[in-house]
Amino acid sequence: MLNERAFKAVGKPLPRKEDLRLVTGKGRFTDDFNMPGQVWASMVRSPYPHARIVAIDVADALGMPGVLGVYTGVDCARDGLQPIPHNPVPSTNFDMKLTGPGGTKVFIGSHMLLPADKARHVGEAVAMVVADTRDQAQAAAEAVAVEYEELPWVADTLAAAEPDAPRLWDELPDNVLVDSSFGDAVATDAAFARAPHVVTMTAHIGRVTGAPLEPRAALGSYDAETGRYTLYAGSGGAVRQKREMAEVLNEPPENLRVISFDVGGNFGTRNRAYVEFGLVLWASKKLGRPVKFRAERSESFLTDYQGRDLVTEVSLAIDRDGKFLAMRASNLSNVGSRCASLSPLSKGAGLITGSYDIPVATLRARAVYSCTMPTQAYRSSGRPEVTFAIERLVDKAARELGFDRLELRRRNMVRPEQMPYVNAVGSTYDSGEYEANMDKLLALADWQGIEARRADAKARGKLLGVGFANYVESSIGTPKERADVIVRPDGVEVVIGTQPAGQGHETSFAQVTADLLGVPFDNVTITLGDTDVVSAGGGTHSGRSMRHASTVLALASVEIIEKGCALAAHCLGVERDAIQFDEGVFRVADRNTSLSWFDLAGRADDKSLPESLRGGLKVRCDSEMHTPVFPNGACCCEIEVDPETGGLEITRYSTVDDVGRCINPLIVHGQTHGGIAQGVGQALWEQCYIDPGSGQPTNGSFMDYGMPRFDNMPSFKTQIVEVLSPTNPFGVKAGGEGGTTPAPAVIMSAMEDALSEFGPMDIEMPATGLKIWSAIQQGRARLAASKTA
Amino acid sequence: MALVSMTVNGSAVAREVDDNTFLAFFLRDHLGLTGTHVGCDTTQCGCCVVHVDGRSVKSCTMLAAQAQGCAVTTIEGLATGDVLHPVQRAFHLHHGLQCGYCTPGMIMAAVNLIETHDGALTEEIVREEMEGNLCRCTGYHNIVKAILAAADEMSPSHAAAE
Amino acid sequence: MHSLRYLRPANVEEAVRIFNENEDASFLSGGHTLLPTLKLGLARPAALVDLTGIKSLRHITVGGDVLSIGAATCHADVASSDIVRRHIPALAGLAGSIGDRHVRNRGTIGGSVANNDPAADYPAAVLGLGATVVTDRRGLVADDFFTGLYETALESGEIVTRIDFPIPQIASYAKFRSAASRYSVAAVFISHGQSGVRVAVTGAGTNGVFRAKDLEQALSDDFRPEALADLHIDPASMSSDNVGTPEYRASLVMVMARRAMAHPGTTQSYK
Repeated sequence: MLNERAFKAVGKPLPRKEDLRLVTGKGRFTDDFNMPGQVWASMVRSPYPHARIVAIDVADALGMPGVLGVYTGVDCARDGLQPIPHNPVPSTNFDMKLTGPGGTKVFIGSHMLLPADKARHVGEAVAMVVADTRDQAQAAAEAVAVEYEELPWVADTLAAAEPDAPRLWDELPDNVLVDSSFGDAVATDAAFARAPHVVTMTAHIGRVTGAPLEPRAALGSYDAETGRYTLYAGSGGAVRQKREMAEVLNEPPENLRVISFDVGGNFGTRNRAYVEFGLVLWASKKLGRPVKFRAERSESFLTDYQGRDLVTEVSLAIDRDGKFLAMRASNLSNVGSRCASLSPLSKGAGLITGSYDIPVATLRARAVYSCTMPTQAYRSSGRPEVTFAIERLVDKAARELGFDRLELRRRNMVRPEQMPYVNAVGSTYDSGEYEANMDKLLALADWQGIEARRADAKARGKLLGVGFANYVESSIGTPKERADVIVRPDGVEVVIGTQPAGQGHETSFAQVTADLLGVPFDNVTITLGDTDVVSAGGGTHSGRSMRHASTVLALASVEIIEKGCALAAHCLGVERDAIQFDEGVFRVADRNTSLSWFDLAGRADDKSLPESLRGGLKVRCDSEMHTPVFPNGACCCEIEVDPETGGLEITRYSTVDDVGRCINPLIVHGQTHGGIAQGVGQALWEQCYIDPGSGQPTNGSFMDYGMPRFDNMPSFKTQIVEVLSPTNPFGVKAGGEGGTTPAPAVIMSAMEDALSEFGPMDIEMPATGLKIWSAIQQGRARLAASKTA
Repeated sequence: MALVSMTVNGSAVAREVDDNTFLAFFLRDHLGLTGTHVGCDTTQCGCCVVHVDGRSVKSCTMLAAQAQGCAVTTIEGLATGDVLHPVQRAFHLHHGLQCGYCTPGMIMAAVNLIETHDGALTEEIVREEMEGNLCRCTGYHNIVKAILAAADEMSPSHAAAE
Repeated sequence: MHSLRYLRPANVEEAVRIFNENEDASFLSGGHTLLPTLKLGLARPAALVDLTGIKSLRHITVGGDVLSIGAATCHADVASSDIVRRHIPALAGLAGSIGDRHVRNRGTIGGSVANNDPAADYPAAVLGLGATVVTDRRGLVADDFFTGLYETALESGEIVTRIDFPIPQIASYAKFRSAASRYSVAAVFISHGQSGVRVAVTGAGTNGVFRAKDLEQALSDDFRPEALADLHIDPASMSSDNVGTPEYRASLVMVMARRAMAHPGTTQSYK
């Protein structure tokens, strides 16, 4: 269907259309909007991880300067506000089917804008103050007197799953909301029973936060004349926010307009609605004034949806030749105080066997509530966790059983001729050349030169470590997408319901549209982010956008080309079948007349057109695509550890990523770079740590939450591979998460290699200087003890 | 309240503001120059970097009143009409931005860095000197490339060669 | 941020007068510690008396064996000063290692010294060089100036006007930075000068910056890195947090001390 020879824009590294406004300070981020008469909201937040709200005395706060109102969970309930309908159980035909214990329906604790019963994590908003200025609202929030009855709490993932752990929800007998099993348990048990080797590992892939640099913000207003609400709020999909906020407010969706133009980073944290979004809307109606909220960074650290937090216990059965026989995994996801999303659990569930052909496997997937901020999908939701498990386990197997770690992988990789390959838990890998990725990577990373570099590092007093990991991940996401394609005399407009936060949709979608219609790239504009214009769409998550957008645009292009042909036939006075469309031009065979899209668009509003051709040169197209794709690749990094300080430098980092069709290499490489940084960040610095004694989160700012920075990241060598996916017209897989997926595994693999002289390493992420130094001390003590013994 | 006056992007401005108004919010809320962003409250992220009397500063940690009488340049004042500053152009060409939120501070920091080094920069200098600006999207790779390219373009030797 | 009055005196006398006239006033210098503290609501002065408008507090001069730096001189100016680079290069390097380049354009030496953050760099130089902190009313030798965490001998309303550094024969500084805050987890300033060997440690001690007397003794006998080989720091005197245990910090202090000795006349920053 696609004529690749006609691609003039697709595949080219075109600089982005969105840059001009962003490099000149003309971006339109949420906090850049202000409305006449606007007032400010500030939240009263729980200082306790778990506490019953006994009483809230608002009198003092109400008497303070500028205060217009103080609202509590009781007020929310009185006004009949509904919980946020997060709809957390993944629902495409290909998502792993998660259930409650014993096959029951998953219990989803209600997420009201403000709770009336109790606070379930430190930082949960229990009341809102609205005042004329932000300073006044913040001052008054401190004056709201909340009487709490402290309750026993649990924050740790494993502890929360214990049967006698403090319970968050009376509706459940314990905190376990999901308990499902997949794969063939009988066959797996049998394979393990006869396996000569079994290797086992337990790991906690810790809690991190997305930390998009734009703090979350919301501006809500209500127009009493039209009865409509408007919400400015950066998100991962305005259409979703509109639907959910309408439900919260008991309003029909058409009474809401949600605007999300430029979004200052998302990474998953903005994919679910925040209580403040509903609160500013609700308050704006009550007060008849626009109400604005902007989080401090400290509030973002406390109450942005967080990511990861999965405990995985994995075992691999291996035969004498190093062939993998079976795998067993048990994954436990900490959803926090409410279940906003089960994506971190489900996305990994289908990928536990990684890039390897393992005949049988079983997985137990559980999720628990805990007294922590809810978790959500975070950059490559669920995949770095399972990639960490399988890749670190394979490294361990190689070390313990005496195999070369690359050779052991080669022996077990899924081969191209097995594609489409159904793995042992039922996921169908669409395409890929996994071992070829490995070979490309080893060349890119100069694997041959490692020992020379290791010697060089040693001469400088440094320990060089090399990490390696393969990965396969899945891109699923909301299955529906809609596009409006409108051709006008001066250009083509595409209206679509994805929501970029830096991924460059205005550019890459224009490239696709330009080539599908045969028009210049510069003549295409993409419209996003205003629900009064964008009527439907699935938002941006799970690497879905390029694939869904190119698919719906391909469908739309067929329809609009047909429309164009009909119109051209009318204009040129010939039958429809006499019109040929090629590279943006409608012409009649053997005749010297032709019409361009823009010529046609100039006539599309002509009143004299027959009924069937009227209404402008535009189409609306909906598509529904459930089939997932499986981006894949390989990754290698080198680190140098300073054994005296535990300090570390990443000296080389190389990746090969099969993204399917690459629409814009400039953008895809950029996605890989950013993804790497986020994965590396988790491995080395990032952690939302909760003090086990008090239940208090200890990371409240960039002073105590270590971030990837200019001076701790290297330049990268990234190579794109394009094995086209057979599942969609352009063959797109995804390019947004591949940088992140193998990164924690590859860094810890390098760490283990660097410290190998000290024996088996036991360092949990993030591998801070302190942990590295301590591991070296322990290793030295062990070595010394074994020598004397 | 006090009358604060300064020159912003070449124009004299004066506004009556509360004493506790930070320069970043003076620019954003009182002058409508929303290109200067605020990404943290501990002077770490650098989204708010502007130039005050030719030096780069974090405008979230400077009171507007402290800039009394100063010459301030923001991201809005960098381009000359429709012609982008070389650093702005380099960020565009090398894809040195994704979401764009850190970008204004990043570009203002880079301009100042290049100016103070007369364009003679290395990757190592860029990585050490830019560490007061955080980016969550790019992994810094393309920003480093963009800054080095712009520095090359702005260096006196480059100008001489042309 | 809470509401407050901002006042900008033109000279030291006016600053003192304004401070005394305003109840609950606080001096403001570069503001890069104070202003974030106010944003977080951790302090609420009613008035800020800005010292950075006082021209007499901004200077870098040499007289005899003493390098004087005005209290309102920003880190960037110290780092790039030819005078400082020539006479105490480690001090220029130290100033250039504080925070980031934007912070260095605002933060001042007087503000840093008066704040005495236990992880700040300047206190190590002041103590490690045996400097004198000169105020509007007296001179305080470094050993008497730093009295504890965020504590100094300054009285209410007393203004640091300059720091007088005796120019040493050699000095060096080595620091290990925190991955998140960029402050020092442990850092050591060593000088050999008119009053012998001084070794000051910042970032690590439970009570803030301190002199490591054992190290001073060892280096007085033999001013070479090898002289430190068998020395240890008692972890009991080291602070503890998520970034470092007392044992880790004690080890880092010795590593930084040896590296400072190995790179005389410089500042080395490790991470």
